[in-house]
Amino acid sequence: MSLLTDELKARVGTTVTYTAPEPWGAASGRYFAYAIGDFNPIYLDPDRARALGLPDVTIPPTLVLESAQYANLPIREDGYAGHLWGFDVPGTRLVRGGNSYRFYRRMRPDDVVTVSFTLKSITPKVNREGKEMLIFATLIRVTDQHGKPIAEADETFILVALGEEEAK
Amino acid sequence: MTPAVGDRMPETSRRITLTDMVVYAGATWDWHRMHYDYEFARIRGLPAPIVDGQMFGALLVKALQDWLGPVCFVEQLDFTFRNLMFPGEEITIGGVVREVAGAKVTVDLTVTIGASEYGAERPAVAPASAVVWTDRIDGVVP
Repeated sequence: MSLLTDELKARVGTTVTYTAPEPWGAASGRYFAYAIGDFNPIYLDPDRARALGLPDVTIPPTLVLESAQYANLPIREDGYAGHLWGFDVPGTRLVRGGNSYRFYRRMRPDDVVTVSFTLKSITPKVNREGKEMLIFATLIRVTDQHGKPIAEADETFILVALGEEEAK
Repeated sequence: MTPAVGDRMPETSRRITLTDMVVYAGATWDWHRMHYDYEFARIRGLPAPIVDGQMFGALLVKALQDWLGPVCFVEQLDFTFRNLMFPGEEITIGGVVREVAGAKVTVDLTVTIGASEYGAERPAVAPASAVVWTDRIDGVVP
């Protein structure tokens, strides 16, 4: 049986969009800066940020691509509350392939983001152990309340069929 | 500061504890149990919760800005995931300049997980690279 079902094929080309219910906020950026141990003053100190030519503190650039803050989705049983395509099917495991980020400008506390997820393609492959896999290519676009770009990401995910041992 | 081809970014190391993983989960609104729940991980065939791979992107930007900043702007960042990382393990981040075109610098990056009870030394991501402007603190959107 192929992992690439008609149901999955039908989703190629579709886009799901979320708009944040409020501006991003400086506290969220500061929390993230502390979480990763990045004490850059452009995230934490408005005076230093302005002295360097920025309008205010900025949000660490990768945060919007790592966070589910804007999605406003309920918390699932596994704890996740971000966008999900629902690719994970029984007898398979979903793993991250790679990320390719492009930043247009630094994000600011007053940005109200819209984030869209587009499923670009699904490619079936067989790995070295002879197990079937599917490679999902997705595009994430982040824009501000004026429709201008902030960041984009190409992210790939790999769905691997589990062996009989692993599937138990 | 604009570096030259072949210049190395100073290596930095960072141990990531279960506490760091919980704080990161909170900061990203990603409370997936895979990142802090040992039993949840064990049932799925893993020896321990796994560090959220997205964190490597944030740490790479930090390393680049600490080296080239304060006036620099990361425009592009690419990384392919290779190995899982577990609580208490340490990563070392490094880089070498591949190309310089005016103020635009391309850096090849490495993120290496040190040997631990969970396995031998191994890359967390590979390949990885970034394109950084060294003459501006922000991007310009027309």
